[in-house]
Amino acid sequence: MMWMIIGIGCLVSIYAIVVLERRLVYKTWEFGYPVAAFASYFIQENVKPRKRDKTFYETAPILFITVAVLAIGIFPWAESSVIANMATGALFFNAALAYIMVALVMAGWAPNAVYPMIGGWRFMGQLIAYSMPIVMAITATVMRAESMNMMAVVESQTGLWNIVYQPVGFLLFYAASLALTFLPPFDLPNAPGELEGGVFAEFTGTRLLIFRLGRIILIFSLSLGITHFFLGGWAGPFLPGYVWVFLKTILVACSFFVVGNLLPRFRHDHTLEWSWKLATPLALFNILWVGILLLL
Amino acid sequence: MSALQQYTILFGMIVGTLGFVIVLYLLHRKMVKMRKEPAKDIPAESGRLQPKPAWGRYHVHYYGYALLFLAFDMEMAYMYPWAVIYKEVGITALLDMGVFLLILFLGLLYTWNQGGLKRQ
Repeated sequence: MMWMIIGIGCLVSIYAIVVLERRLVYKTWEFGYPVAAFASYFIQENVKPRKRDKTFYETAPILFITVAVLAIGIFPWAESSVIANMATGALFFNAALAYIMVALVMAGWAPNAVYPMIGGWRFMGQLIAYSMPIVMAITATVMRAESMNMMAVVESQTGLWNIVYQPVGFLLFYAASLALTFLPPFDLPNAPGELEGGVFAEFTGTRLLIFRLGRIILIFSLSLGITHFFLGGWAGPFLPGYVWVFLKTILVACSFFVVGNLLPRFRHDHTLEWSWKLATPLALFNILWVGILLLL
Repeated sequence: MSALQQYTILFGMIVGTLGFVIVLYLLHRKMVKMRKEPAKDIPAESGRLQPKPAWGRYHVHYYGYALLFLAFDMEMAYMYPWAVIYKEVGITALLDMGVFLLILFLGLLYTWNQGGLKRQ
């Protein structure tokens, strides 16, 4: 029964994220959009570029959606419901999402076309920029919980959520997750209006459908990550735990789209400079901050 | 649950996703006919034909960062086990990791000083 509610909750929140993205980015309420988009990609022809790398071309979309789904697996939905209650949950989350870069570089390389290739290399640069802040912010939450298990990370936040305990870490994690999900302002790999779709330019039909679906699931899993690492997971008054998890996740995803509307696109070398000159020292400071707070 | 069971569940998630994708592909192949048209399969390049294969050598302008990233990424491997036992060990752990991170941070400062942190 519990698992049925959670499954339906996942589907509903993914639907809600798609509809709310239409509302917040394109300013229209389109409640049928998820179904319409699914159907329109599904009946599209699968046009494949002439001299493509066959293995990478087939693998990239599947790898992309698989790791996005896997990252969801370690998060608890309520006090005792978690798909895989791993002792190394936080590390697994990181390890799974490292493959997003691999999938996108493969997708950029495979069609043997120039625009996707540039998009792919750009995303690799973006990985070098976002991965240190995201990893170090997770480490600081692990320090507080004394465990990499996600249940322990959430339980360590009873009383004081990590967003208050380590605000610097939260800001870094938030910016890095925008870069990881390649949402604007960090939408360099597919840069609409500049790269003609970038890494997704040569994918049509079902493969593009898998990519789009994977992107939504990726946004969902990153929002889940922020909810669990910094916003206290299932904690909240009156309502049952899983409702809070879904509510917080949808709100975090909405905040992604709002922030994306407000900022101009970052150039990839500016992202790298900001990351290594500001974000990495700040992340180290955050670890020191948490370390001192824990010893007091 | 044992670790093996958890990995089995995660493997099941991989298989489930793969199954979903394969069913989608098969349905698509069954339902959608591909129309054969000349020059449909040429990569989009603003109306021009590609002069040569795109698989050439690109100048990635961030190789300086990439080297630095390798050093920091190695350091993270030590950081995770340290973070788990941090509270237990206390001030010793802070000092130990502090010295290690300080040396690494000096490396970052040195790279910055030598002009490594810009577009090459």
